[in-house]
Amino acid sequence: MVNQTVSLIIIHAALETDSSKGMEDITPALSIGNVGQLAVDLLVSSTGAETVGYLDDQFVLPCVGNDAYRPSPRGDLALPLQAYESSSSGLTLIQQRSPVVKGMMVEYAKNLADFAAASGNKHVVVLSALDFGRLQRIDMSSEPCIFKMSYVSFLGHFSGPQIYYLSSTSVNGTDDYCEQLGWKRLQEYHPAQRGWKYLSSLAEGDVGDENNFAFEDDLEEEDYYPSLPFAALFSCFKARGLKVTCLLCYCSEGDNMADAFNLADAACKFLRLNPDNVRGDDAEKWTVPFSWMTVYGPPPDMSMF
Amino acid sequence: MEDVLTEIPPPSRFFQEDLNNFTPPLPPLPSPFLLFSNPKLDAPLRPTLLIVAISSPSLFVFHHLSSKTLIGSLILPEIPFSGNSIEPSLTDKSCNIYAVNDVDGRILVVSVQCSVAAERSHAVAKVLIGEEIIPERVLILDSIQNRNFRGKLPPDETFAFKLETSAARKEGPSLLKDVDYFPSGSMVDGLPAALLSRCQLKNIKGTLCVSWPEFGGSAVPFIQSLLQKNVLPGMDFGLNNGEDGYSWFSQNRNRPFDSELYT
Repeated sequence: MVNQTVSLIIIHAALETDSSKGMEDITPALSIGNVGQLAVDLLVSSTGAETVGYLDDQFVLPCVGNDAYRPSPRGDLALPLQAYESSSSGLTLIQQRSPVVKGMMVEYAKNLADFAAASGNKHVVVLSALDFGRLQRIDMSSEPCIFKMSYVSFLGHFSGPQIYYLSSTSVNGTDDYCEQLGWKRLQEYHPAQRGWKYLSSLAEGDVGDENNFAFEDDLEEEDYYPSLPFAALFSCFKARGLKVTCLLCYCSEGDNMADAFNLADAACKFLRLNPDNVRGDDAEKWTVPFSWMTVYGPPPDMSMF
Repeated sequence: MEDVLTEIPPPSRFFQEDLNNFTPPLPPLPSPFLLFSNPKLDAPLRPTLLIVAISSPSLFVFHHLSSKTLIGSLILPEIPFSGNSIEPSLTDKSCNIYAVNDVDGRILVVSVQCSVAAERSHAVAKVLIGEEIIPERVLILDSIQNRNFRGKLPPDETFAFKLETSAARKEGPSLLKDVDYFPSGSMVDGLPAALLSRCQLKNIKGTLCVSWPEFGGSAVPFIQSLLQKNVLPGMDFGLNNGEDGYSWFSQNRNRPFDSELYT
């Protein structure tokens, strides 16, 4: 299949003056609970970021809707891949609203990485989530997350579930600043493991016969983490020479808004965003996106009571 | 039947293969293409208005429009021709392209009478808009997708919403000025979304109108009235007693079972 580069359709003059260069990019990776996408929604809504363009990629399934953020939507379209810019925060946010065509995740990641590199952005932050069921199966005894949640519930405080990270700044994925923030490096990242190695080869466009991954074989437990979308984005951004940091949290499928708040908060801390630039109504930290109001569908028909 | 209390729930709203980098891709398909009955037509075609009918009511309305000429077809190689009739029929699996006669300006209508897979929608939209056909304005007619709509959809009410590109909104009075904007939080996916996205990216004035109900008889006169009032003033769609025929058509189109074995 012919690889088609993502093209950014510019609708705002600001991008033409290269104002995005040097800015940091935040982008979600698809995951359980759609947590990365929800977190980006929160960041766009709360920073007052404006649409600066749309990305056109044949590997993202089409969808369209009305403006997801304003309380009185003006009719601005929401498309599958949309770029927002918050000049006060120095942030470019790319929201992804629909899934990737089956089997084309790595191609999509390559396209996005090509675009980010061509745009001159130096650092990409990928927001995503991991299946909490996987964490329990792997190592219950080392689970600070469960203990921490129970402990802080007992105290009546809540400091948020543990944030995990993966950084391109070192070979094993560690980053001193993330460690200072109290976050844990994703222990399941092993560059020499076959899944991570194969992903890295794909990202660099170097897939010889000797590197072929046996798709017909069942994936093993160790292949799970490199199989996730955030891993494709991490590998492809890294292959393009960009600094990339993945911020991750464990969650279960359900009402994932709390997870989104936690992850968005982590992104703000990581990027040292000025709290004045992330301000909701009535001095609350976050502005909840208007589209979240109907996430559970319409209210019940009260006439039946 | 699984016990919902004890069975392990699905891990995600996504299928596992949607979140797997190592899922093998689908077999590649040949690209869709346009076929015109008159190969000497000036290319690209530049209609003042391109109407894409996708919903059952809109397909029914335009099928009965007598003042139109078949000029071509969009061919999707994965859709077999078996079972199609020589003369255009509502039961055909086809994407015929018609020129509307007796109007000011050049108006084309595409009747999408086959299912276009979501992953093919981008390619189909690219063929229909911006290459061999470069319209000044596009109107897409589809139904509200129950699965993607967060509001109430009473079965006994008839209504419509719209979405418009930036170019259409900047121009002035909307093409469908009495139709409200689609509520925030709900989405449209598939071919209608791909078409409107294409219009936005190409800076073409595009309007997507989604109506409800999807198969009810009240939708036909509603769509007809919408078109006569806003798009094709005074056009006779020849639908004085159209609802009888529509009931049969909508029942058959709504069949859950549709096999290529039976034509």
